[in-house]
Amino acid sequence: MSEKFSPTLRIGDLNDYIAPSQGCIVSLKGLKATTTTKQDKIENQGKAALPIKPSQTEPVKISLKDCLACSGCITSAETVMLEKQSLVEFLSNLESGKAVIISFSAQSRASLAVHFGLSPLQVFRKLTTFFKSLGAKVIFDISCSRDLSLIEACNEFVTRFKQHHSSDVEGRNLSLPMLSSACPGWICYAEKTLGSYILPYISSVKSPQQAIGAAIKHHICQKMGFKLDNVYHVTVMPCYDKKLEAARDDFVFSVEPQGEDGPEDYASLMVTEVDSVLTTGEVLELIQLKSVDFKALEESPLDRLLTNVDEEGHLYGVNGSSGGYAETIFRFAAKVLFGNEIEGPLDFKTIRNSDFQEINLEVEGKTVLKFALCYGFRNLQNIVRKIKIGKCDYHFLEVMACPSGCLNGGGQIKPKAGQSAKNLIQSLETVYMEDIFVANPFENPLIKDLYEEWLGEPGSEKARRHIHTAYHPMVKSIAADLHNW
Amino acid sequence: MEFIDGNLQLKEIQKLEGHTDRVWSLAWNPATGVAGIPAMLASCSGDKTVRIWQQPSSGQSSGSWECKAVLEETHTRTVRSCAWSPSGKLLATGSFDATIGIWEQIGNDFECVATLEGHENEVKSVSWNSSGSLLATCSRDKSVWIWEVLPGNEFECVSVLQGHTQDVKMVQWHPFVDVLFSCSYDNTVKVWAEDGDSDDWHCVQTLGEANNGHSSTVWALSFNSTGDKMATCSDDLTLKIWETDRHAMNEGCAPWRHCCTLAGYHDRTIFSVHWSRDGVIATGAADDAIRLFVENTDGSVDGPLYKMLLKKEKAHNMDVNSVQWNNTETRLLASTSDDATVKIWEFASVP
Repeated sequence: MSEKFSPTLRIGDLNDYIAPSQGCIVSLKGLKATTTTKQDKIENQGKAALPIKPSQTEPVKISLKDCLACSGCITSAETVMLEKQSLVEFLSNLESGKAVIISFSAQSRASLAVHFGLSPLQVFRKLTTFFKSLGAKVIFDISCSRDLSLIEACNEFVTRFKQHHSSDVEGRNLSLPMLSSACPGWICYAEKTLGSYILPYISSVKSPQQAIGAAIKHHICQKMGFKLDNVYHVTVMPCYDKKLEAARDDFVFSVEPQGEDGPEDYASLMVTEVDSVLTTGEVLELIQLKSVDFKALEESPLDRLLTNVDEEGHLYGVNGSSGGYAETIFRFAAKVLFGNEIEGPLDFKTIRNSDFQEINLEVEGKTVLKFALCYGFRNLQNIVRKIKIGKCDYHFLEVMACPSGCLNGGGQIKPKAGQSAKNLIQSLETVYMEDIFVANPFENPLIKDLYEEWLGEPGSEKARRHIHTAYHPMVKSIAADLHNW
Repeated sequence: MEFIDGNLQLKEIQKLEGHTDRVWSLAWNPATGVAGIPAMLASCSGDKTVRIWQQPSSGQSSGSWECKAVLEETHTRTVRSCAWSPSGKLLATGSFDATIGIWEQIGNDFECVATLEGHENEVKSVSWNSSGSLLATCSRDKSVWIWEVLPGNEFECVSVLQGHTQDVKMVQWHPFVDVLFSCSYDNTVKVWAEDGDSDDWHCVQTLGEANNGHSSTVWALSFNSTGDKMATCSDDLTLKIWETDRHAMNEGCAPWRHCCTLAGYHDRTIFSVHWSRDGVIATGAADDAIRLFVENTDGSVDGPLYKMLLKKEKAHNMDVNSVQWNNTETRLLASTSDDATVKIWEFASVP
């Protein structure tokens, strides 16, 4: 089961999960749980440790929040997530008459497109038909909020870059390299394993998933006349780790009493930006569960309020199947900091392996910008080590836990029989931008509206409050140390 | 090589004392013991140190092995494993502090020139490939890592392999080709090779109980001198011999198959196995004994393929954690034990 998570979360102590709860510290509070069934030579120093006897214990009930707040394992959360963020929960919310809003990621769209042999636009239109027939109110496009995240990240990068080249020594040290923050597997690993030496470098910008959650719950709901306590917002993502992200305390806010609803209605309402995350695979499961002939479904018009679709019905968005962070920020920084407007595609160079690619900007023979895509655990490790010893000369790194990035997320539809994983990735890369216009996020009219009506300008106090977040180093508890000797 | 049963012995040359806690593992420096350079070995211990021991130089045959250096104040917990690079210039040490130390001999001193971090918890074993360009490490975190050695004592992680479901006890490269073997508390041995067309490594074979493999923790493995046979030892009290096609293996990677199981010789966990260049397999076990096995060449069709040459009872006062034959003086064996000692043995005929 835990194979669904990104490899980064599967590493080491992060990958014990609850059913055979050998890694769970929380469970030790109540019961002694262990799956050790045979005796190992005790390899720790102290010889006092007693041999661990196998014992049958009931799985312990633990909430996802317990898991996230704990420095121990991470995937204990899986059992919990299966309850809280499952198809069953999704369907029951649809039936309960809630206003269900679904936000679709471009990577999930591509996965379904390859699976059904359709274009991403066809898939999106058919999905709109499908989910509306089930009772969903609105279907949005996360490419839209991704443009918002990208603009904020561009702004943050330029600020950090200037800080790095300023005379303020303290600010200079922790400002660069800037590391992308959209990958929840990477964030979780950084918080739980790496801690305070790496966190200051991570962009404070929320991921596209959380940005759309914030836009919907803070702004669009009011605009559309939905009551916050009646809205159930679901995202469809290529990634299991996104479920953990949605459950973070940082992405829950309380609504103050307001308007004609009276104080008592909203007095203690806690609103979650993203109520539930379904993976692409789970959506396919739902389509199969409902015995729908997906390819034969009609194509509905798209909900345009938060969807990157133009007047003619064409989809648009940035290049880069893992969000296009490096590319977008590189172009912006080249223009804003060095007056260099780059035409045409960027020439990323493969360094060491295809999951590590680099792009530089040279001005008068001097490298002024050095960016890289850094996917997969091995590349991530090398970068982290370099940062730790102060030998990382990159200005920006687009870090993703999965090899090949988000298209290869653990929540995507698996290769068909006889299809190699590599072959599938190639198809996904091809289909990802099929019939999709490459567009500059700064020219997205929907985002312009969001700034005008809601956030003000990039980096504003309001933008910082709603579209940025913070990271928390996890302090290893004594219990964790005891467990690990 | 022919061995005549009954008139062989494992003669204790010297007991090396100095470690203050159990000694886990040892490694002979492959660049020593030849061309007049006295043999050197490194031993690592629960006392958080590595000790470097050197043979008396040839002129003074009566002299004794001496501790030349103590590598300390770097690892903060048990040093579980150590391995010399093929050139003998670098020593890698794996520790329970989750790091790997890389040491270089500078003059008479050993200096820690790099520390590799990344494993989540206790590092259990380290191994260099035949050319010294890659270092493999494994840990209780269930992963196997492959590091590339770059100029200037830089190491870069080229792969993190997550196939084992439990503590990985040992990693060992094939003696000639870049194929990696690992064995684990999950009872399996896994074979890892680099992908032909991509740039990552993956598991090409798992030798488990279903393939006549072990039914409990696999503690160690070792290859014969031609690289077409492998011995594995386990908590299931057996020693297993595996074989492959030599030519296919030397071309790249060939599948391994079970050849035979040596059961009934051990009654406690076998922690260590090592195959000498002369074809003698040594084992170290929890019953404090060292045993030696060879291929059975008496020609009988139905007879066992391997036979025990001798059993050295009470080789140590406690568990024997590691046995290692010298790479050049093939009758020289070293062993380490929970009794905090290292012993040097000579395998010889009874005079």
